[in-house]
Amino acid sequence: MRKSLLLFPSLLLLLMAFTFVQCKSKTAANKKHTIAVVVSTLNNPWFVFLAETAAAKARTLGYEAKIFDSQNNTALESDHFENIIVSGFDAILFNSTDANGSVANVLKAKAAGVPVFCMDREVNSLDGPTAQILSDSYSGAVAIGKYFTQQLHKKGTYVELLGLVGDNNTWARSNGFHSVVDNYPGLKMVAQQSAEFDRNKAMEVMESILQAHPDVNAVFCGNDGMASGAYQALVSVGKADKIKVFGFDGAEDVITSIGENKIAATGMQFPKVMAETAAQFADEYIKGKRDFPKKIPVAVELVTSKNITDYIAYGKKQ
Amino acid sequence: MASSYKKNLSRFQSVIALLVLCIVLSLLTDKFFTAANGVNVLRQVAVNVCIATGMTLVVLTAGIDLSVGSVLALCGAITAGLLKNGIQFPSADLYIGFTILGAVLGSVIVGGLLGLMNGLAITKFKVPPFVATLAMLTIARGFTMLYTGGHPISNLGTNFAYIGAGSFIGIPVPVWIAAIVVLLAVFITQKTKLGRYIYAIGGNETAAILSGIRINRVKLIVYSLGAALAAIGGVIVTSRLDSAQPNAGISYELDAIAAVVIGGTSLNGGKGSVWGTVIGAVIIGVLNNGLVLLNVSPFWQQVVKGGVILLAVVIDKMGDKKE
Repeated sequence: MRKSLLLFPSLLLLLMAFTFVQCKSKTAANKKHTIAVVVSTLNNPWFVFLAETAAAKARTLGYEAKIFDSQNNTALESDHFENIIVSGFDAILFNSTDANGSVANVLKAKAAGVPVFCMDREVNSLDGPTAQILSDSYSGAVAIGKYFTQQLHKKGTYVELLGLVGDNNTWARSNGFHSVVDNYPGLKMVAQQSAEFDRNKAMEVMESILQAHPDVNAVFCGNDGMASGAYQALVSVGKADKIKVFGFDGAEDVITSIGENKIAATGMQFPKVMAETAAQFADEYIKGKRDFPKKIPVAVELVTSKNITDYIAYGKKQ
Repeated sequence: MASSYKKNLSRFQSVIALLVLCIVLSLLTDKFFTAANGVNVLRQVAVNVCIATGMTLVVLTAGIDLSVGSVLALCGAITAGLLKNGIQFPSADLYIGFTILGAVLGSVIVGGLLGLMNGLAITKFKVPPFVATLAMLTIARGFTMLYTGGHPISNLGTNFAYIGAGSFIGIPVPVWIAAIVVLLAVFITQKTKLGRYIYAIGGNETAAILSGIRINRVKLIVYSLGAALAAIGGVIVTSRLDSAQPNAGISYELDAIAAVVIGGTSLNGGKGSVWGTVIGAVIIGVLNNGLVLLNVSPFWQQVVKGGVILLAVVIDKMGDKKE
């Protein structure tokens, strides 16, 4: 009983301390406009980079920026949007958890007069977002598919490692790749497995696949994390120089590996370009501009050992 | 006598299940029953064996530890961070570098301390183990993100890679590590006072208190050991990938609990064995491997895995009733 009596005032004190801090930051914020960055997940370095770049760009433009992590959960994303609207943010730089599931959130913000700028992932609503700056996964995967067939001389067996099977990007990449590769009867897919965009899982799955199909010629991975994992599996059985690995993202480890001729190719996405464009747009909106292009596709570029010197992790050399 | 007979029987049940699984897979594909694939499966289950062994000790006391996956990620990140960057104090212009052994020991100690905090919450503040370790799951994941900034720590050097990717007399190093962990845990549970206390607490906590067992101390040790073993798992995963991933180990606690349960250890505590857990972990590993070898659709794999776990426990329960 005594303990609980003590607990209550101490909790109250804690709460008061927080409100005090909150008030302080609020008064400071009154002079500055604020921009919210809502990102689908911070559990993947690629999205961390996207969110941090967007926030950094907003800060250099003179705004206060705050990052919200939706943890791949559309319901949590919805909570974030409500909080953002209530706390009076001026714009949202948005990386959605789900193309359809996030539409309601975007419309809610629009109704409250908060503009939404989508980055990388599309939201299936024409009038909801003020502008969408999107990565074109499908055509990027088409480019990889073309290089893939060329590297294998249109003949051989290969393995595909898929990302999360419930994720839009997984299938955009897989379908883009197959739209090219499936036209060549000489190219045979001997295994298609999910490694959930995870490096460790990719290594384990690849190790098992190699038991069944020790003489495959190539492996196409839905992201660079899985490409690194698959490569690690090849190294451990001494087949790294016989089996070609293809990734997607343009992450740091894979860019380094392409430079060292370890991984054949990846699709470079440009999170920096997308994040900075979105922040730039938000800045223009707050300053009064209202006319934005609805959709801006950002091309995914093929990176191979031939043009690797033009690229750095997550982008092009300046 | 009767109880040891029963224990043996339940152990054999999981062994039989494993044998059946292996025979079926061998009939379905000729790639399964090869020495190379055997080594492959053992290497892949090594991490889960380490974690599940710790989990067995915890579950035997009628507890549970949901934080192991996050602890694994944090300790893996700490190993990589210490190895690559050491500890820096820019204000004092001080830099502490770490050898491989130092980095590994450092992270295992951190793991043990995290487990100790679980134990303290459970014993001193009477927080139910489910809640205390659920809180630690989130806290440790948060610290992993803070420590890594959300980015992987990669390129840790070939010497460090030996722990995860190397082999010693033809058997992968992770398998040796798991074997040592299992043997020590078997020794503790079967030959020491601590082991008897663990079973006694899980069997009947009140009786254990009345017979003078210092249950709080036993629980502190058990949770610390469990988390330290998760840290060892973290070192292995980090070394194998040559990279500490901030999102490593997500849902590993479920794999570990599945191994414990398939191995015949009761979630009510007091009944079960480390050997059973090892068999349970191997069953899961064989299943993962076999489903990939057969190129079963990823959608179906999850259904099959869940079904096997359910089946294993149902068979176990049926064996109990017959007794």
